[in-house]
Amino acid sequence: MTDEPRIALERVSRWYGNVVAVNDISFALRPGVTGLLGPNGAGKTTLLHMLAGLLRPSSGTVRIAGEIAWRNPSIYRSIGLVPEREAVHSFLTGREFARLAAQLQRLPDPDGAAARAIATVELEGAADRPIGTYSKGMRQRAKIAAALVHEPSILLLDEPFNGMDPRQRIHMMALLREMSAAGRTILFSSHILEEVERLADGVLVIVAGRLAAAGDFREIRRLMTDRPHTFVVRSSDDRRLAAAFLAEPAVFGAELHDGRLAVQVAEFGGFTRAVARVARDTGVTLFEVAPTDDSLESVFAYLVSRR
Amino acid sequence: MNTFVVLASVTLRALLGRRRSILMLILAAMPIVLGLLVRVNERELRGETLGATLDGFVVRVVLPLIALVFGTAALGAELDDGTAVHILTKPIERWRIILAKVAVAGTLTAALVVPSTILAGVFMGGGEAASLATTFAFALATFLGSYVYAAIFLVLSVATSRGLIIGLAYSLIWEGILAGLLPGSQVFSVREYIGGIAAALAPAGVPESLIGSSGLLYAAIALLLAITIGSVRLATYEVRGTD
Repeated sequence: MTDEPRIALERVSRWYGNVVAVNDISFALRPGVTGLLGPNGAGKTTLLHMLAGLLRPSSGTVRIAGEIAWRNPSIYRSIGLVPEREAVHSFLTGREFARLAAQLQRLPDPDGAAARAIATVELEGAADRPIGTYSKGMRQRAKIAAALVHEPSILLLDEPFNGMDPRQRIHMMALLREMSAAGRTILFSSHILEEVERLADGVLVIVAGRLAAAGDFREIRRLMTDRPHTFVVRSSDDRRLAAAFLAEPAVFGAELHDGRLAVQVAEFGGFTRAVARVARDTGVTLFEVAPTDDSLESVFAYLVSRR
Repeated sequence: MNTFVVLASVTLRALLGRRRSILMLILAAMPIVLGLLVRVNERELRGETLGATLDGFVVRVVLPLIALVFGTAALGAELDDGTAVHILTKPIERWRIILAKVAVAGTLTAALVVPSTILAGVFMGGGEAASLATTFAFALATFLGSYVYAAIFLVLSVATSRGLIIGLAYSLIWEGILAGLLPGSQVFSVREYIGGIAAALAPAGVPESLIGSSGLLYAAIALLLAITIGSVRLATYEVRGTD
């Protein structure tokens, strides 16, 4: 096997009129599971569509297994795409849908390949029912079966766990891990941190079209946790507590506003370890300690600001 | 099974939705009903009157409308709702997709319009040899015209998400009004190609057109051009509605 990355983006941008959907993104992926993490509207689907040759990059190049992705149907021999929004012909059964994919891939035994893919996603029980009667999770599994039918070396999945129940989710994660161990390159998008944490070896964080962070998940997780936070504190004596907090190395600011104490914290872990000790040492009773900006969006915004 | 047959069969199943099929059957039945009314009133249309009636009703109204519905639904509707992505992400040359879709949309159109033409012509014109010649000339011309119209409307639906409206405007405004006012524009009118083909087959029963006996050549060129443009356009097709 050559050391060439299976997926390689070089300074890729995509804009629609004046709106920049993807902004100067470069990365390379080798076998393994990578999570494409970002809030809704961040540009994840645009990026996946460019990887799948369904959108032309406005600038830069996208290569799949060394080949340019745009206007190159031959890349689909090595790609399996599971789109999020795109509909499926509701009159086809799950088995027919997988067989259609196998036939269009010109596989020698389309029926056998479809049966294997259906079994892989555990859809045998509903395989001969029209997709129009499926739940969202079943439809998702039918799409995954169709994407796996030719055993592609690269799998691109857009929000693959949407609509799946917890059991199906666990099974699908195990399946993707198995495929990764077998040497496949898997890129899946998600706006849910926990999904990426449970499955991905590496992570690409995309915010407002920009690559905010890339690399090992644990490192990104640490960056996310250790970013500056603001905590709102209510206590029996806010003024005294504020003075005590300012002596702590994890705290860099405190202000009293509308009868509440807002504490600016440089290190999340350091502050959470110190807060109870400081309250005890100063003899102040704590009523409430709450972070004010723990949404995923604010985490992403921080990651963008530090680049 | 080769990819053409696979693509054609899934397209056929998609196009034969119950409501669409019923509407198209009703549309195709209208010339037959007209023919029956003529027959019930014990009248017969002969010579150019029969030709003008078939041209005015089948060629100008029924054929373009049915071809418009099937042509734009065969691929344009799939591009709009995203089902086409499952076909586009397969290692298939784009011209094969266009060819299969045009074949199905054209065949479905012809399957409705040609029997409609024959039955309407026989009811209106009777069994006389000259009338039958006119009827079958129109039947063959509409058969070929079904594929040309379907191909053009299919390409419009690939090129723009407003294929249905543009196709309707082409048929009503360009072919219906401009081709009458500006004879030169008949060169770009499928209706005139069909008239030319019918006139070449049954000169006595079909009104003359500017295209004349070159209708078949024009139709062939239009079909080839449409398939080529459609293939090129599909090769650079970009999905919409991404975040």
